[in-house]
Amino acid sequence: MSDQRLFAAALLDPDAPCPAGLIAWNGSDPARRFAVYRNNVVVSLIDALADTFPVTLELVGEEFFRAMAGVFVRIAPPGSVLLVEYGAGFPDFIERFEPARSVPYLADVARLERLRVRAFHAADADPISPERIARALANPERLPTLRVTCHPSLSVLRSDYAVASLWAAHQGHGDLAQVDPFVPESALVVRVGLDVQVIALPSGGDALAAGLADGLPLGQAAALALAASEDFDLTAQLAMLLRVGALTALAQPTET
Amino acid sequence: MSKSLTSTALSATALSLALSTALSLAAAPASAADHQEKCYGVAMKGKNDCAAGPGTTCAGTSKTDHQGSAWKYVPKGSCEKTASPTSPTGFGQLAAFKEKKT
Amino acid sequence: MTMQFSHGSSARGAPVRRTHPDGLPDRAGLGLKPQHFAEILATGPDLGFFEIHAENYLVAGGPFHHYLRRIRDRYPLSIHGVGLSIGAEGPLDATHLDRLAALLDRYEPQSFSEHLAWSTHGGAFFNDLLPLPYNLATLNRVCDHVGQVQERLRRRILLENPATYVEFAASTLDEAAFITEVVRRTGCGLLLDVNNAYVSGVNHHRDPQAYIAALPLSEVGEIHLAGFAEDRDAAGAPLLIDTHGAPIAAAVWELYAFALERLGPTPTLIERDNDIPPLPVLVAEARCAERWIGSARPDRLEVSA
Repeated sequence: MSDQRLFAAALLDPDAPCPAGLIAWNGSDPARRFAVYRNNVVVSLIDALADTFPVTLELVGEEFFRAMAGVFVRIAPPGSVLLVEYGAGFPDFIERFEPARSVPYLADVARLERLRVRAFHAADADPISPERIARALANPERLPTLRVTCHPSLSVLRSDYAVASLWAAHQGHGDLAQVDPFVPESALVVRVGLDVQVIALPSGGDALAAGLADGLPLGQAAALALAASEDFDLTAQLAMLLRVGALTALAQPTET
Repeated sequence: MSKSLTSTALSATALSLALSTALSLAAAPASAADHQEKCYGVAMKGKNDCAAGPGTTCAGTSKTDHQGSAWKYVPKGSCEKTASPTSPTGFGQLAAFKEKKT
Repeated sequence: MTMQFSHGSSARGAPVRRTHPDGLPDRAGLGLKPQHFAEILATGPDLGFFEIHAENYLVAGGPFHHYLRRIRDRYPLSIHGVGLSIGAEGPLDATHLDRLAALLDRYEPQSFSEHLAWSTHGGAFFNDLLPLPYNLATLNRVCDHVGQVQERLRRRILLENPATYVEFAASTLDEAAFITEVVRRTGCGLLLDVNNAYVSGVNHHRDPQAYIAALPLSEVGEIHLAGFAEDRDAAGAPLLIDTHGAPIAAAVWELYAFALERLGPTPTLIERDNDIPPLPVLVAEARCAERWIGSARPDRLEVSA
């Protein structure tokens, strides 16, 4: 077995012995010195998760979060040197993590925070110009088959819990004591300029945004949204998507 | 347009009306925007402007990780402050879990 | 093994550092931190350069590139890799090298540097700079990897001396000799981290001045300065940890002055990655480094010699 393989295994396993062949000038136990590396690795990765999931941390408290993150780090160290990608599997881990079962919405709040980081670093794209939309409107009969490209930062999170309100209450928007976590909510995550926004979607709004993001034609996505809710306000939701720059291109599929 | 698409898609007229109205609404100042929409950023906390998730550094840490072999933690954070901290479906038995831990 | 050095003479000769006209200016710079982006653009602090960690900018778009583009338009840039894992037993990550090459093409930095360390194994990334035994097997591997990096990036890189907490029974060379040989074989330059030299000197009970004097100083392209934290080993001896989380220690400033006497003016980075203070605090540390750089100019040395 290679030296680095042994060293690496011992970094993540607190019960593993200190790797052989390490020495100190004064003959002191090298395990104490090796512990510095062990600690650097685990603490820095827990810190990385704490950076990505600050509301998740607040919900369960720092002690619980860091202990939970420590379990995750040892099971699933980063598979990429790009730490910004680290933690993609953390929400699923939380969902299965028995001691967190008393906070059933924790995993979805973590999913929302992960989508925010993803949105923050997503590619840049300009919103569709009003002129381009005006041109599409000049051929109304072709609007149902129009396909829309969404901003690379856009994603939709559908939850059985009040994810958007829970997250917002931790940013100073609204009173956490008034939030019932067990009310289903959907959230749109999108970067507007340089800021990532979390937008609570009304019933049907999730179907529209997710449908467009999945590449459905405009008419089909709108029909799905209306099927989800009789009260669905298509105009308001399209206006919102345009206002935040969530739509970046229009295309008419070539006639078949 | 294919028949199957027509049956599941919204009419061209309805779409045209919605999109043209949306276009003018979107161009209106934000104050006139739909007020039922709840939109949250992180502007409340200035230092979070660049909340970007984790970054690499080339530094070590002086913080210490206390790894215990037995799990002894319970969620003790803002989850206890929500309007209904326990689940109607029986998940959220914080108190019961706390009792079990010792 | 323990290392023996004869103490270097403190006599001042002419500065030995080879300078590169396209390199970083002989001034002080700061690590670029997102919390300072907007303030840097608004106030334009008088600094020699900024340095970024490459891996933080290997993202598609958004604020990091928005601000870096604007800051790069106004300042020289150093790109410092933390994830190439040049000392790894496994092969270099070709995908990562490609991404780095694209980042360098995009921002055309005056300098690119990496570490004499490893940080990946078996597909896992440990986010720490892990130590190497200094022997022939490591030397061959490190030289191969440095050569591959320089070929792919089509430029000379600077290799940074590490801060370490353990030594290896399998080492057959001392660290300065090892680095000297890597520089000789690959033609790479040296990023002299004075804090690392001090931290490792204390941790391994060796004289940091003698260590620096034994390095190939003519090939130094940049200096790093940072703060450390103090711990103890199992025998109670001081064990310094390279945290980049504190102001630069007085002993490190002294060692910096010692290095500058030999090098002449050298681009110097103030590194702060943890407990990051307001920008003016870091700018003040950079000013302090610039005073030392100023006093290391050859004309000044002649006057004082």
